Amino acid sequence: MNIAVKSPFEEKKANKLQSTRIAGKLVNDYWEMVWRAKEEGKLVCWYEGSAINPFLEAADICWVHGEAYSAMLAARHQEGTAQRVAEERGYMRELCSYARTHLGCAVSNQRLRGDNAGATPDEDDLTWKLPPPDMIISAYAYCSTGQQWDEMTSRVFGKKIPIFNVSLPWIWGSKPDAGYLRGQEWEETSTYVERQLFDMVKFIEERTGKPYPWDRLYSMMADIRRASELRLEAMELCTAQPAPASFFDWVVSIAPINNLPVAGVKDYFETVLTEVKQRVKDGEGAVPDEKYRLFFDGIMNWNKVGWLANKFAKWDAAVVAGRYTHMAFWQEPSLIDPNAPVRGMAQNYLICPNNHAAPILIDLIMGLCRKFKVDGMVIHASRTCRAFTNPQFMIADTAHKQLGIPTSMFEGDVTDESFYKDELLNSRVEAMLEAIEHRRMVHAA
Amino acid sequence: MERTQIIDSFAAAARDPLSYAKQWKARTGRPVIGSFPMNFPGELAHAAGALPMILQESDDPITVGHGLLFPFYCGYTRSMVDQAVRGDFDVLDAIMFGDHCVQLLGAADAIRMQLTNTRVIFFQLISSMCDPWTQGRSEESFAKLRAELEDFAGAKVQDEAMHASIRLFNKNRGLIRRLYDMRKKGIAPLGSVEMQHVVKSSMVMDKAEHTELLEKLVRIYDSAAPLPARNVRLHLSGHFCQAPKPELLEMIEQCGVTVVGDDLYHGFRYISTDVPEQGDPIAGLARWYMDRNTGVPCPTRVQNNVDWDAYLLNAMRDEKAEGMIVLMAKFCEPHMYYYPEVKEAFEKADMPHLLIETEHDGMALESLKTRVETFVEIVKHRQAA
Repeated sequence: MNIAVKSPFEEKKANKLQSTRIAGKLVNDYWEMVWRAKEEGKLVCWYEGSAINPFLEAADICWVHGEAYSAMLAARHQEGTAQRVAEERGYMRELCSYARTHLGCAVSNQRLRGDNAGATPDEDDLTWKLPPPDMIISAYAYCSTGQQWDEMTSRVFGKKIPIFNVSLPWIWGSKPDAGYLRGQEWEETSTYVERQLFDMVKFIEERTGKPYPWDRLYSMMADIRRASELRLEAMELCTAQPAPASFFDWVVSIAPINNLPVAGVKDYFETVLTEVKQRVKDGEGAVPDEKYRLFFDGIMNWNKVGWLANKFAKWDAAVVAGRYTHMAFWQEPSLIDPNAPVRGMAQNYLICPNNHAAPILIDLIMGLCRKFKVDGMVIHASRTCRAFTNPQFMIADTAHKQLGIPTSMFEGDVTDESFYKDELLNSRVEAMLEAIEHRRMVHAA
Repeated sequence: MERTQIIDSFAAAARDPLSYAKQWKARTGRPVIGSFPMNFPGELAHAAGALPMILQESDDPITVGHGLLFPFYCGYTRSMVDQAVRGDFDVLDAIMFGDHCVQLLGAADAIRMQLTNTRVIFFQLISSMCDPWTQGRSEESFAKLRAELEDFAGAKVQDEAMHASIRLFNKNRGLIRRLYDMRKKGIAPLGSVEMQHVVKSSMVMDKAEHTELLEKLVRIYDSAAPLPARNVRLHLSGHFCQAPKPELLEMIEQCGVTVVGDDLYHGFRYISTDVPEQGDPIAGLARWYMDRNTGVPCPTRVQNNVDWDAYLLNAMRDEKAEGMIVLMAKFCEPHMYYYPEVKEAFEKADMPHLLIETEHDGMALESLKTRVETFVEIVKHRQAA
């Protein structure tokens, strides 16, 4: 295993968006709210994957997003205990590390608060702190791990927690009319998921014992639609050279669009958009000296967000777009009708960055690469996230053939740092940048 | 026909299913449809006039397939992609996919991109098994699959043909279940490799031909008396999409073990459940899909009201098994998720078990043998105590 060591190129750092600092505060406030939920007498729902949180928030249910908790632990470098607890119970290291970390939290929670309680929790250890669920909703696009993770969570809690499954089929897209957001398969699948979401609302009503407050949901979805538009507008401005914000800024902005309380989200993205516009006006880039523009394929390495942002900055490489950030998270706001949002919500859940089969997915990625005028692609082969790694060789091959750009792969993981190989990343990206340089010289000659 | 000849016929098809398919195709002039494990019903393709064949992991090392899937995928998916890239699947006229496992989805995409001249049919089966809409959604899936097959075959798949296929497949399953029962009682001393040949060949051979041979095999044992057993009686569990390597099974049995039951996919899981023979055949297939998960629960599905661990303990009581060996294919996520449940339940029930992680490429059988021998001694010691 390679150990990530201090970078010898400390002088250049990423010029992060100042406004993303607000995201840090919003994230902290959100988790504080979650940790207080039981004291405040709130029902708690655990879920992973799709952003069903507005359904829950509108019903005054505290929502706990599994990946978000694992990512938060990793970003704070506090994931180790949860992963160790999971391993002790028999969950193997090759399992999705999001799930492994979160299941470690569930096991820890059960040991400290559950039927066999008796141990004394360490107040500084966030592993056990999640409030136990009163319900579980599983709504996971593409990856089988999500549904199995939720099922195992239910079993860790002794199958005493009611669980509701929403099935989100993969869009295979083999018919002549198939494509992104179109075709019979798309419409039928949207209807199937929409129907299940209405049933999910009935499940929520059974838990709360109250009629579902649809008006609150409509209002929240109007805000989310607007926040999404602002986010996409800000992202679009990164076609400018130098790019005013990077993939890493958008990574930091995932929590606000994906799982934070709706009330602050519109303001957050208004602030971000204002700063991005100002940067474009001032010619200020996300890296001090933008020389290369790269696309990032793969999920984030949550232990390494700042580390990677600075690493690419020191290479004068602006990572201008990515599959994870630019193809998900209320990605199609125009589909959301605030007065009848459920179908549009279903459709946005079906647009996770992996839930379209490779031909459609790869077309979208190539489109982003063209739009953002990238010189190369860096591909994060996340060891335990096969949902993201599935099409990566095909993506790399298509990038070579269609765009004529070089690609570079490195191994890492979502929340298990031990899979990250720093030296591989260094040597491969440096080689790719040299290749880009060489091509430029050839073209100039 | 002698027992050995029958088993040899099964073994030949099981060892080289694609050659069997080529010969069958040359003989009959009919299409061959490969399907991915573990839930797509061969009955549908059979009723459409094709040879349904569950695609098998190859023994060959992964070579060119490394260019499409990472090495941290299960051996089955990597082998599927590798065989596709190498051109081994040229004999197939179509491939059916429909499962939920994320690694299989990766393989589906890669194979479609490679085999541009092969019809690749996909319709995703619901994997949440106890929802109010599971039966209905399963029916929709199978109806769409039927329509795809009709389009592929250029002819309607009639209900009568489906009923006939269902009856034939049920008969085949029933005969293999009889062999399982005979093995459990000591009447049919079939080794686990031989039993694998029986089941695996059923997945790939012409069903009528296979059934005819099965009937002869069952007749051989019909009047046999139970043999005295001195070995430790064990249950084999796990290994879903791919068959465990025969050399691993042989090694286990060489350690003084008699395998008296299993829930392997290339074993009892495959033949556990029949399709209803009356009524709408599509509804029957959906019923079968749901029933088999309550019959032999599978960790690739989610069903909060059934427990695989409880099933295993019950099955072992019935088999009078004294311990269990879990065979887990490396990187098999559903199995990795569920294993802690099994582990805890077995510890609670004071039932010994041994976990063996298997790999596509070579395994260190000698060191595994030491572990199995030690496990067998532990089981013997417990029985003696």
